[in-house]
Amino acid sequence: METFLDLWAAYGSTVTFAMVNALFALSTYAVLSTGVLSFTTVVFAAVGGFLAAQLSGKFGLPLWAAFPAAALGGGFAAAVVAFAFLRLESHWMALASLALVLITRVTALNAPALTGGVNGLIVPVRVEPLELAILLALCTVVFWRLHRSWFGLASRAVREDAAVASTMGISPYRIQFIAFLISGVVGGLGGAALAFTLQFISPETYFIGIAFTMIASTVLGGSFHWLGPIIGAAVFTALPTTMQAIVPQIEDVAKGVVLLLIMIFLPRGLIDPRAWGLKKAAKLREETEAKRAAERDAHA
Amino acid sequence: MRDAGSLLVLDQVVKTFGGVAAVGGLTAHVRQGSVHGLIGPNGAGKTTVINLITGLFHPSAGSIRFNGAKLEAMAPQDIAATGISRTYQNVRLFSGMTALEQVMTGCYLRRGVSLWSSFLGLPAASSAWRSTREQALHLLDRVAMAHRADELAETLSYGEQRRIEIARALGSDPKLLLLDEPTAGMNHSEAEAVGRLVHELRDAGLTILMVEHNMSLVTAFCDSCTVMNFGRLLAEGDPKTCIADPAVQEAYFGRKNDADRIQALR
Ligand SMILES: Nc1ncnc2c1ncn2[C@@H]1O[C@H](COP(=O)(O)OP(=O)(O)OP(=O)(O)O)[C@@H](O)[C@H]1O
Ligand SMILES: [Mg+2]
Repeated sequence: METFLDLWAAYGSTVTFAMVNALFALSTYAVLSTGVLSFTTVVFAAVGGFLAAQLSGKFGLPLWAAFPAAALGGGFAAAVVAFAFLRLESHWMALASLALVLITRVTALNAPALTGGVNGLIVPVRVEPLELAILLALCTVVFWRLHRSWFGLASRAVREDAAVASTMGISPYRIQFIAFLISGVVGGLGGAALAFTLQFISPETYFIGIAFTMIASTVLGGSFHWLGPIIGAAVFTALPTTMQAIVPQIEDVAKGVVLLLIMIFLPRGLIDPRAWGLKKAAKLREETEAKRAAERDAHA
Repeated sequence: MRDAGSLLVLDQVVKTFGGVAAVGGLTAHVRQGSVHGLIGPNGAGKTTVINLITGLFHPSAGSIRFNGAKLEAMAPQDIAATGISRTYQNVRLFSGMTALEQVMTGCYLRRGVSLWSSFLGLPAASSAWRSTREQALHLLDRVAMAHRADELAETLSYGEQRRIEIARALGSDPKLLLLDEPTAGMNHSEAEAVGRLVHELRDAGLTILMVEHNMSLVTAFCDSCTVMNFGRLLAEGDPKTCIADPAVQEAYFGRKNDADRIQALR
């Protein structure tokens, strides 16, 4: 028990942030798994975060009510974004989503009544690590179910080849719209989770930092299975802390180096079901060849 | 008149790319329950016609009617829902999917449950999923690929991938199947097997439009055909008569003595 408490004192906040980052990474994964690269998770997080902070601060809403409100807010923002963005070509959509992140920050800075402006907002409610774990577990169950459903199959098809998918009766627009809604809900939850963890938020909270973390986590963990972003967020959050214990002030360097290494050596991330399938096929081929060789020897 | 009994009618269909007409006013009829060949030399516009029928391209002019529906302004997924399915000249299977998953994806239109109930895993949805899986396995069996169901399709040979693509196209239980050079890259016995499958499907009521370069396979497989050259109609009707047509011979082989030279080279 003693050692557990010691460990928690040292790494508790890392675990907490890893869980928050996992929500952001899952939100990015939701759209990426249908072939859409979008930074708008940051926007959904801001909507969810400020909404949750205001509802609990001004109206005394408890956690269990503030989280669903944040999810709804994020989902609503996502519906608007999807409606506007899904008509764009994919690379323009990525750029437009980045532009929206910049616009959101400026807007938030200039709306002090809603966001506290430059002074930010104090959040009077705190989320316990256990509550966060439950929230993440719930989200994970949703992604697990999605992966094994017709939606999961259709989104893989749309991601790999949207034109071919459409000739099989799958509407890429519909699949990607639903993906945006999921991204918005999970992003909104992540934003609220961050607000209730930091207990102080400002427009700077929901900015490039989150964008970098969520993209890096998804790339690191892999975007071909829901487990990828969760593992990615855990590694990406823990790595700088553990490295820091060895070599101080290495955080940003370590993050950058890890990201580069992953992109060079594991471009599809740590969790890659396709790589396992390829390995299996290679093994099978080796076995049949060995068998054939043995048969030839037997004949000779 | 001719339209009666035709499942698919192309009427004066035009498709231009930057001013160049890939298809220049093509009229064609595909009879219900037939195997119809679409032939012509390289660049004649055959693949473009298939892309126009499936909605990947929209015609610059003209109309395409299928079973009473006007396809020319419809989106690909809506055209697929009317009962049209296809394969691709360059196999386009989904990367990272097993053979079975490819065919399951092809079954999307007849999954029989909403995305929502499938997500919730309701009992009805689970049993629908299982029965679709059975159908997909059965389709793989029809193309002699059931033993490879759980392998990544991209690790299989080209001929095997082509067969999986046919099974995937059959997944939606289409009325009209479009095959773009289904036997390309196959050896003779594999090609024969595709021919047998095509005839089985036709006898079960399916209509098939296929692009095929091998003339002996065209005469063996097809009940009728349309010959194109430079995006236009060159000949149509009985395959043997079409191929014997001097205009067709010239389009395919250049002048007659060129054709003899090509024959001699083989
Ligand atoms: N997307 C496109 N953009 C521009 N030109 C195109 C496009 N698709 C086809 N074309 C042109 O249209 C013409 C017909 O091409 P198409 O692929 O339909 O021929 P094909 O009959 O299928 O030939 P092949 O036997 O080589 O497959 C060609 O000249 C081609 O260059
Ligand atoms: Mg072609």
